[in-house]
Amino acid sequence: MIPFLKSIKLFRKPHPVLERNRQLFVDFNQSRPLPEYNFVVCDTELTGLNWRRDEIISIGAVRVVDLQIELAATFHQYVRPRNLNHNQATFIHRITPEQLREAPPLEEVLPEFVDFCGDSLLVGHFVGIDMDFLNNAARKVLNGTLSNPCIDTMRLARLYKEARSASDYGHCDQSNSYNLDDLSQEFGLPRFKPHDALEDALQTAYLFLFLVKKLGRGEVLTLRQLYQLKPLWHLL
Amino acid sequence: MVFSKKQNGQASSPEMVVKFLENTMPFNELDHEMIRDLARHCRVDFFPKGTRLLTAGETELTHLYLIQRGGVKSFITDDEGDVTLKDYRGEGSCIGALGIIRGALANLDVETVEDTFCFLLPRQIFLELIDQQPVVAQYYLKSFSEKIVHTAYSELRHHRVSRRSSEDLYLFSVTAGDIIKQGPWKISSTAIIQQAAAEMTGHRVGSLLVHDPDDPENIIGIITDKDLRTKVVAAGLAYSAPVSEIMNSPVRRVLSKAICFEVLLQMMAMGIHHLAVEQGGRIVGVITSHDIMLLQGHSPYYLFKEIVAQQEFGGLYPLSEKIPDVVRSLIQEGGKAGNITRMIAVLNDHILDRMLTLLEQEIGPPPVRYCWLLLGSEGRREQTFKTDQDNAIVYADPKDEAQRIEARSYFAELARLAIDHLVKCGYPLCPGEIMATNPLWCQPYSVWAGYFDKWIAAPDPKELLNVSIFFDFRCGYGDATLADDLRNHLISQTRRHEIYLLHLARDCMASRAPLSFFKNIIVEKNGEHKNKLDVKHQGLTPFVGFGRVMALKYGVKETNTLARLQVLSEEGHISQELWSAASNAYELQMHLRLIHQLRKIEQGEPPDNYIDPAQLTELDKRMLKEAFGVIERLHGLLANIFPLM
Repeated sequence: MIPFLKSIKLFRKPHPVLERNRQLFVDFNQSRPLPEYNFVVCDTELTGLNWRRDEIISIGAVRVVDLQIELAATFHQYVRPRNLNHNQATFIHRITPEQLREAPPLEEVLPEFVDFCGDSLLVGHFVGIDMDFLNNAARKVLNGTLSNPCIDTMRLARLYKEARSASDYGHCDQSNSYNLDDLSQEFGLPRFKPHDALEDALQTAYLFLFLVKKLGRGEVLTLRQLYQLKPLWHLL
Repeated sequence: MVFSKKQNGQASSPEMVVKFLENTMPFNELDHEMIRDLARHCRVDFFPKGTRLLTAGETELTHLYLIQRGGVKSFITDDEGDVTLKDYRGEGSCIGALGIIRGALANLDVETVEDTFCFLLPRQIFLELIDQQPVVAQYYLKSFSEKIVHTAYSELRHHRVSRRSSEDLYLFSVTAGDIIKQGPWKISSTAIIQQAAAEMTGHRVGSLLVHDPDDPENIIGIITDKDLRTKVVAAGLAYSAPVSEIMNSPVRRVLSKAICFEVLLQMMAMGIHHLAVEQGGRIVGVITSHDIMLLQGHSPYYLFKEIVAQQEFGGLYPLSEKIPDVVRSLIQEGGKAGNITRMIAVLNDHILDRMLTLLEQEIGPPPVRYCWLLLGSEGRREQTFKTDQDNAIVYADPKDEAQRIEARSYFAELARLAIDHLVKCGYPLCPGEIMATNPLWCQPYSVWAGYFDKWIAAPDPKELLNVSIFFDFRCGYGDATLADDLRNHLISQTRRHEIYLLHLARDCMASRAPLSFFKNIIVEKNGEHKNKLDVKHQGLTPFVGFGRVMALKYGVKETNTLARLQVLSEEGHISQELWSAASNAYELQMHLRLIHQLRKIEQGEPPDNYIDPAQLTELDKRMLKEAFGVIERLHGLLANIFPLM
């Protein structure tokens, strides 16, 4: 019975919003300069880190156009989890159970989010975790996964810190933490309050702008160059 | 499609921009809804340190930049590539407003000096705001006119000294019509030049208006002293030529109701010094840049004149109290700290000169030549406000025992009276008793030479530090040759015994640059001034000490720190680059110190050297940090020149 249902689900057609999403990236070209791409910097708040068991309870995102953060277009939505009982994490996120009970379910929020993303690349801090959850959710409610290419600010931060410490031996007060908050402090970025999906997305967007421009060292990188940056690239 | 959802009670409009605008002039005057609306129109951009944002005459302004984090400098690059720094701007400041309002290209080069995040407000939205919100329009217009004056007056970095008296505001309240005292003096265009010159002399004026020969009310030109000099005398023009040949035409005019500030702006903008004043269509007089300059009270020149004219001690006492007012106006006019402290020294010197002249009249002439020595900061011409007296007397060696006794009692009396008057003038006593009243420091030349010999040839490190201010001596009054001889003696002795310099250098290097100030760690670790920066001892003393040691080492006679650095650079002992970095760093700190002390005085407290980091802007801190970085470089150089043995 169970294998049978699964096989049916596999053959079900993806939701139209995912079909549109897939079409946008069929001929994806990596050779354009970064300002020509749109980015959506996103953050999800979760009930926990186990993607099989835990659920998304909020999604925050901001759009970056021409390598500038567009404050007019932000996305912030709470999501009603299927299981409201086991989510201790909500206390960290300062979201009350009441707010979650009133929130729309994933089935409503996710298509809106996919639409919001449009042809943008998705940027996140440890973006892999967000994508695991988003794709897991997408498989459940939209019968497919997102096609947007991703950029992890954590990886960029590591590249930047390596390049910096190699070129500046005197720099001794840098920490080894790659936590969003610690990095923001280390790089002297304006600070937002953590554990709110939109604020974290904004914080990540600031970090993204900072890193992309710092890594470019005055030059505009293409997307491919950004992907191909290697640790200690400047020494090669 | 609107993605900003509000049904969860969680508005997703950008809270942090709203907060930022609410705390930023002039947007803080707007109501909350309007601020939220503005915030939604903003974008955020990031400019790494060293990014060129605007290029004068090239960049079209598509949006206003509001600095959220970081800082920029604005500057002008002339045809020869020389760069003149205009201004630093930090968090909460904006860039590009003037250009947008005037619909012109950028008029300055602007570059980030730190990693900088800006909110970008589109040009159109900003223009609509200016249009609809008088508060905003007013703010920018006011800040432009202030800025223009501010640059015109020169290099004022921070305009943070409060205006105390209404006198300073004359420029903004007195009109051109109020100023005209006489006239208008005019002459027909057919009159000859010599006649014009005679009339100018007769009326004691520097200019004459020129009228149509048929209609005295029809003013067609103006001639000035300068025209007589350049177009007649220098050019060899006949004095009998008609005035019309040399007049400037047409005459620039201002309305008699224009405030002097506008008049000054117009003069500065056109580079002219005379304007005709018009009332009801008639020219009623001429206003000159000199007339406007006279409006500014507290001019150092007037104080100087008052001091040298004093005939009584009692008259001198209140005059020294006026020095802070002079300093305030100099700071407001953009004077550099180095010039201001030199000005203070000149004024103090004149008070001393006047006072000792009067004293000599009172107790009779001295039995032998003498020189009143100024030591320490006075010796270096680096006093700010009332600092302790540090002085001494050196007199010519008496020729016999009788003269020796006579000299000793005369100078003891002179010193006693002088110090007393100085205290009444408001110069506090030196707690270390380094004053002419101390018999140790009121001695004939040979004794002084012996002092220096001892300090130099057989240095006791502790004593040496206590007497380091003696090495900065200069002549304050009297026979300067005594001070010169002593200086030459010191230089020749130093050549033979450099070892004492090692002690002085080592002491310089012992103090670490207070960089921890910027890590929000403790500055002064305990006591009343906990967490404050002692700008004198932590910031300035390292530069003073460096200048002193290096000047002694290379036989530089200057005592002023900036002058010492300059000579050291000219003679190739330090690089030009280090010289400029060190002078800037030193002057910046002097500037902060002056402003801090002035503020203290205005609060009715005694001036001190403890700066609270909370008083500083991010930009001040950044500049201070650079200044402290220079200290490390000075230490590095000293360590090279004076290696530890």
